[in-house]
Amino acid sequence: MKLNIVGKNIIRVDAQAKVTGKALYPQDIYLDNMVYGKTVRSTKPHAYIKIDISEAEKVDGVLKVFTYKDIPNKNAHGVVLKDHEAFASKKVIRIGEPIAFIVAETQKICEEAYKKIKIDYEEIPAVFDPVEAMKEDAPKVHGDSNIIYHFKLRHGDIEEGKRKSKYIVENIYKSPMVEHAFLQPEAGLGYLEEDGTVVVVIATQYPHYDREEVAINLGLPEEKVKIINTNVGGAFGGREDISAQIHLALAAMVLKRPVKVIFSREESFLAHSKRHPMIMKYKTGADENGYLQYMEAEIIGDSGAHCSWAMNVLRKAGVHATGPYVIPHVKVDAYAVYTNNPYTGAMRGFGATQVPIAHEQQMDALAEKLGMNPIEFRMKNIFRRGSMTATGQILTDSVPLDRCLEAVDERFKFSQLWKEVK
Amino acid sequence: MVNINFTVNGKPYEISIDENMRLIDVLRDELGLIGTKEGCGEGECGACTIIMDGETVNSCLVMGFQADGSNIVTIEGLEKDGQLHPVQRAYMEAGAVQCGFCIPGMVLSTKALLDKNPSPSDEEIREGISGNLCRCTGYNKMLIATKKAIEYMKGE
Ligand code: FES
Ligand code: FES
Repeated sequence: MKLNIVGKNIIRVDAQAKVTGKALYPQDIYLDNMVYGKTVRSTKPHAYIKIDISEAEKVDGVLKVFTYKDIPNKNAHGVVLKDHEAFASKKVIRIGEPIAFIVAETQKICEEAYKKIKIDYEEIPAVFDPVEAMKEDAPKVHGDSNIIYHFKLRHGDIEEGKRKSKYIVENIYKSPMVEHAFLQPEAGLGYLEEDGTVVVVIATQYPHYDREEVAINLGLPEEKVKIINTNVGGAFGGREDISAQIHLALAAMVLKRPVKVIFSREESFLAHSKRHPMIMKYKTGADENGYLQYMEAEIIGDSGAHCSWAMNVLRKAGVHATGPYVIPHVKVDAYAVYTNNPYTGAMRGFGATQVPIAHEQQMDALAEKLGMNPIEFRMKNIFRRGSMTATGQILTDSVPLDRCLEAVDERFKFSQLWKEVK
Repeated sequence: MVNINFTVNGKPYEISIDENMRLIDVLRDELGLIGTKEGCGEGECGACTIIMDGETVNSCLVMGFQADGSNIVTIEGLEKDGQLHPVQRAYMEAGAVQCGFCIPGMVLSTKALLDKNPSPSDEEIREGISGNLCRCTGYNKMLIATKKAIEYMKGE
């Protein structure tokens, strides 16, 4: 077979526009008669709020300040659970949550009006530690439990695994929250077409979801909403949730003028999701010959104030908890928990990135107990063709992990050095 | 308001601007040169890099009035007679362009480096683009692109 594309260097279609500076991101678009928006965000992690916009609306050049009262239909969005409000109504649940959207003739006037918005916060106890948040008497972020999701994996018989294990290591690993810091801060435009179709121009990972969310919040049929995706200045999962889409659509629909918003870098940090911090409690056992016998893991993921992709991320963490190793007896419990922290969601790896911090250090700790070269120990236990994962999947196709490990070992001269220091 | 006279991409301008306007806003909002990007607004990311009198500067940290009398090159000024600058061509070919938001600044820093030092070492190339953050590529492709550009420029 002759391949025309595979194996050849292809120049991406948008490369020329990008090296010449012609590629358009939302902040690069200027429309006639355009006005500017600015989002007012919560400065408290957990509080009842009263909003007074009257002074801000009096500022010369301010067209309107939008709040939850202006949402025509449902004030709720979210990729899995509809647990974000487009504008906080009674209570804010995190720092950075949108409360109002100022629209004015210029960005400068927006800033002036921003100073005149009065928000009265009545602070209530907040919870920042997911372990605390799981307790019955913890402050609740939504509803009556902070536990959003529990993924359970049971494989083999843990007690038997323990009996067969001569060496057991037990450790707790913690991974931090991480910011995507895509280089293009969020920006967007909203405008109306002649037939009343609301258009939002934005850099997004999900134009189709955005369309549905805008339609539901505004009470419009989906065919009256258009999302135009520009060039996307990096995303890495951080543009999967709604940012300014609903605010822009609402402002354009009501004011019948094009509205543009640009987030500063600081606001971008406040606005979008982060990587889930995880607390990973691991127990792993091996027999006297260096074969893994059991693994027990409890993984707690901090979802922050919203669910976003919490179930999907913690499920993935749970599924990948063993790492690429054959372990006959496995028990995994992965939880996603609400707190009043910044919310977490999709980020490169989507839950599979955190668990290697735990399972690989467990491998090293076990090899040390066995007095075995950690590469050799891994080689005994890795997935090969025909292996069964803890979720019951038989790996029938290519599993070249042995070759990968060998190549790494050779380059790092790990085994060689290990012998020398022994 | 203040009046400023300056040259941008070989073209002279005389404009009147608000005294508290940053140079990046003058370029983008007043002259429509949207190839200059704002990633941070505080001198950290280099997305707003331009060449001012031969030196790269972060246009988010320069006030508009400070540009009075200067000679500025932005990403829009690199093509000559409809031909891409060798650095632009090399970036495309090396696959150094992903989301593209860092690219105008990155290309200008590379060009400014090669204007001063036509055969930099790897170390010097890395140093030359160290003021430009890229969240997509991991920078190695910029190194490859720069070496390609050096070859192209030798051939010119
Ligand atoms: S925008 Fe100027 S350095 Fe980041
Ligand atoms: S290509 Fe995306 S930031 Fe550099």
